[in-house]
Amino acid sequence: MNWELIRLLFLHEARMLVRARRTVVMAIVLPAIIMPLMLYAQKYSADRRERLLTGTIYRYAITGEFADRVRLLIDQTRKSLSDAQDDESGRLRQFRFVETAPADVRASLGKHEIQFYIETITGGEADKSRNEASNTQEAEPRRLRGVPVINVVYSGDRIASDVAHSRMLELLRLARQRDSLALLAGRGVAADAKDIFAVEDANVATAGQITGSLVGRFLTLFLVMMMLTGGAVAAMDIIAGEKERGTLETLLTSAAGRQEIVAAKQLAITSVALVITLLQGLNFFLYVRLKVVALPKNFELQLPTGMALALLLLFIPLAATIGSVLLMISAYAKTYKEAQMYFFPVYLISLVPSLASVMPGISLRSAIALVPVANVSVAAREILMGRPDVMMIGVTFAVMSVTAAYLMRASARLLSREDIIVPAHFEAAEFLGGAALFQKRVLRWFALMWVVTFAVALNVPVLATFRRQLLFNEIVVMMGATVLILKVYRLNPIEMLSLRPVRPVVWIAILFAIPSSYLTTLGVFQLVNTVMPAPQQLLERFAEDVIPKGMPTWQLLLYIALLPAVCEELAFRGILLNGLRRKLRPAGLILGIGLIFGLFHVMLYRIAPTAVLGIILTAIALMTGSVLPGMLLHAGNNALGVVLGNDLNLYVLRSWHFLAAFTIFGLSLFIIYRNRTPLPTR
Amino acid sequence: MSAPVLVRNLAKAFYDEGRGEIKAVDSISFECHEGEIFGLLGANGAGKTTTLRMLSTILAPTSGTATIMGHDVVHDPEGVRKNLGFYSATTALYPRLTTRETIEFFARINQYPSKRVPERVEYLIHRFGLEKYADARIEKLSSGMKQKVSVARTVAHDPAILIFDEPTVGLDVLNALDVQETIGELRAEGKTIIFSTHIMSEAERLCDRIAIIHGGQILATDTLAGLREITGQHYLEDIFVLFVKAGQETV
Repeated sequence: MNWELIRLLFLHEARMLVRARRTVVMAIVLPAIIMPLMLYAQKYSADRRERLLTGTIYRYAITGEFADRVRLLIDQTRKSLSDAQDDESGRLRQFRFVETAPADVRASLGKHEIQFYIETITGGEADKSRNEASNTQEAEPRRLRGVPVINVVYSGDRIASDVAHSRMLELLRLARQRDSLALLAGRGVAADAKDIFAVEDANVATAGQITGSLVGRFLTLFLVMMMLTGGAVAAMDIIAGEKERGTLETLLTSAAGRQEIVAAKQLAITSVALVITLLQGLNFFLYVRLKVVALPKNFELQLPTGMALALLLLFIPLAATIGSVLLMISAYAKTYKEAQMYFFPVYLISLVPSLASVMPGISLRSAIALVPVANVSVAAREILMGRPDVMMIGVTFAVMSVTAAYLMRASARLLSREDIIVPAHFEAAEFLGGAALFQKRVLRWFALMWVVTFAVALNVPVLATFRRQLLFNEIVVMMGATVLILKVYRLNPIEMLSLRPVRPVVWIAILFAIPSSYLTTLGVFQLVNTVMPAPQQLLERFAEDVIPKGMPTWQLLLYIALLPAVCEELAFRGILLNGLRRKLRPAGLILGIGLIFGLFHVMLYRIAPTAVLGIILTAIALMTGSVLPGMLLHAGNNALGVVLGNDLNLYVLRSWHFLAAFTIFGLSLFIIYRNRTPLPTR
Repeated sequence: MSAPVLVRNLAKAFYDEGRGEIKAVDSISFECHEGEIFGLLGANGAGKTTTLRMLSTILAPTSGTATIMGHDVVHDPEGVRKNLGFYSATTALYPRLTTRETIEFFARINQYPSKRVPERVEYLIHRFGLEKYADARIEKLSSGMKQKVSVARTVAHDPAILIFDEPTVGLDVLNALDVQETIGELRAEGKTIIFSTHIMSEAERLCDRIAIIHGGQILATDTLAGLREITGQHYLEDIFVLFVKAGQETV
C-alpha cells in the first residue's frame, strides 16, 4: 500500500464530493433543513390539534329512561374535577361539553350537529337485547344480569367525535367510581373498594441503566441507517458516477494501484457517512435543547470514557463495513441510477442484523457474536446498560475487522473484474461454466446451505425432532447440495468428491486416530469451556438433543455416526475442499474449511470442538487426497460419542490422559503424512 | 537494450452472450522503437482498443506477453503505468476539477517528483496554450479545450511511452489537426508513441511505421514506403484493402 497515493486520492475524492452539488444537497443541506422542518411541522401540528381540540365545544345528547340520573352524575363529576390534582382530571377539565336536545339524536349525529350521544338502557332492556343477540350468536361484553348500560354512540371517522367520546368515556368511568363509593358509603362502608390492598412497584435498575437499555437497543440501528443513507450519496457517485462520466478508465490507467484507489474511495465514503451521522447527531441534540424533541422521563445517559472507547472500537469497523458494502454496490453498477436501484434492497437487508439488539433474550455470549453487524448491535446494548463483556467485545471487534477487510478486498477485486470495467463482456468462468465457475461459486453455495440449516433448525416445528432434523440436514442440505452442485457445474463425481483409494497403512493410522482424536477434541472442549463456559441448561438440552433417550443403539449409530460421516465428508472434504483447493494455500484450506465446518454446528460452544475436528479431517483429506479415511475417522469419532455418551465422566480424566491421546493422535497424523498422496493445491 | 514496447503473441478472448468466445486479439507481436510513432491501423472492431487496453493494464491478456520500458503488463502493472500516458476517447476528465488541478492531480498520481510538479504544471499550461483557462472548471470548457487538457494530463508525468487510441474521434477538422500536430511535437521531444486510428490520412501523415490490424491479427508491419513497395500500391487505403482481402482469402 502506498499511503501517499491513498492520501492524494482521498483528498481528490473529498474535493470532488464537496464540489458535487447533488452530493452536498442530498447529504448535507436536505437533512440539515428538512429534518428540523419535519420535526417542527410535526410539533406544530400536534400543538395545533391539541389547541383545537381543547378549544372546541363538544355537543352531545342523552336519551333513554334514566337520562336524568346520568345527567346528574356527569354534572357532579365535572364539578368534582376542579378539586382533583391528577393528570386525567386536568385533561378532562380542559374539555368543554354542552348538552343539547335534538329530536332525532342519530340524525343529528349524522349531520355533525352533535359529536356523540349517550344512550341509557335499563337492566331489563339490556338483558332482553342480550338474549336476542345470543340467538344470533353475537358476542357481548361481560355484564351481570339487571345491570343498566350507558352506551356512548359516536362516529369514529371524525376526529372531533372520536376524541369527544373518549373523553366522555373517561368522565363516565370516573362518575361510576364516584357512584360506587357513594353507594358503599350509604351502606356504612366508608372506604374505596379498590384500596383493600395497595399495589406498588420498585425498580432496581438505575435511571442510567434504563436509559442505556433504551438507547442501546436502537443506537446501532440508528447509526447503520444514518451511515447507509449518508454514505450512499457519496458512494453512488464515487465509482458508478465515474463509470458514467468515463473517468474511471482514466484513473485505472494511472500509476495508482487498484488497492489504493479502493482504499481512498472507501475512506471517502466512510468519512462522509461519519460526518453526516455526526451532523444528524448534533442536529438531534439541538432539537432536544430547543425542545422540539422531548426525551423520555428520567432520561439519563451515562457514558464513561471506557464505554465510549469500547463503542468507538466497534463502530469503526462497522463504518468501514458499511463503506465497503456501499462501494461494492457502486462498483457493480454501471450507472448512478443502477447503483441507486441496488441500494434500496441492500439498505433494507442491512437493517435486519442491526435489529438484533431489539430481540429479547439475545446475549453477546452466543453465536450472535459471529454475525457481523448483529454482534455490534447486541454489544452496544450491553455496553450502554453497563454490562460489557470484554472478551466477547474482543470477538465482535475481530469478526467486524475481518468482515471489513474481506469486503474491502472484494471491492478491490471488483475493480479488476473485466466484466465490470468493460460491461459488454462476460468473465470467462461465468460464460464457460463448469469447474471454473464452480470454484468461484462454491462459497456462495455453502453460505446458502448454512442459512438453510440455521433457518430450519430454529423455525420449522415439523423438523424440530432429532431424527427429522438430522435427516433434513444430512440428506437434504448436505447430500442434496452436493448432488446439485455436481449436476449444475457438470463435475466429475469421482474427482470432485475425492473418492480415491489410499495406502493400507493410512487405515491403520486412522484406527489409532479415532480414540485419540476423540479425547483430543474433548480436551479442546474442556479448554474452551473454562474460557467460555456453556450454560448448564444448554449443556443438558444439548445432551438430550444429540443422544435422544430410548433410541436403539444401532439407530443412534446410523443417525449420529454413519450418516453425518458420509454426507458431511462428501460435502466439506469433497465439494468444498475441491472448490477452494486452487484458491488457497494448504494452511488456509485447513483452517478455513475447519471453521466453516464448525459454523454449521449452530450452537456457539459446539463450534470450537467441531471446528477442531473439521481442521483434523481437512488436513487428512489434503494429505491423502481422499475423503474415505476422513469418513472413517468422522464416523468413529461420532460412534465413540454415542457408545460412551453421558457415561464418560470428563472429570475422571486427568491431564496425562489428554496428553497421551494427543501424542498418539500426533503419531497417527505423522504416519498419514509420511504416506501422503496429496492433491495439488495453490 | 530491448525496445521500449515489446509485444509477443499477445491474445485476448472475450465471452459474449450472443456470439460465444471472441478472439478480440489473436496472438499479435510487434515492437516500437524509441522516438517513433507506431501506428495501429484497423477498422472498428479490429482489436486496436483491446490491444491498447492490455498495454495500459486495464485488461489482462489471455495469453502472450507485453512489456513497457521493461515492465511486464501482468506482473508489474504499476511499473507499466508509471511509464505510460494513455489517451482515448473513453478516458474522460473530471468535470469538477479546473485545468490546473487536473494536470497537477495526474502528475502527482503518476508519481512525478513532488517538488517539480508546480513547475511541470505551469510548463504544460503554457505549452498547450491553456493560460486563460487554467483556473476554469473542465465542465465549462469547449470540446477543443478539453482535448488539449486531456493531452496535457496524458503527458503530465512526462512518461516515455504515450498511447493515443483514436484521439481524433468526434473532433472537427481543426481540432483534429491540432491533436495531430501535438502528437508530432511529442515525437520530436523523443516520446515513443503508439497511435491507433482507422483514418488512413492520419496514419499516412503521422506514423513512422504502421501495423495493419484486422480480425484481431496483425496482417503487416512496415514503414509506409515499405508497405508501398510490398503491395505496389501508392495510397494507404488501397494497401489496407489489399491486405484485408488477402487476409480474408487466407482464412
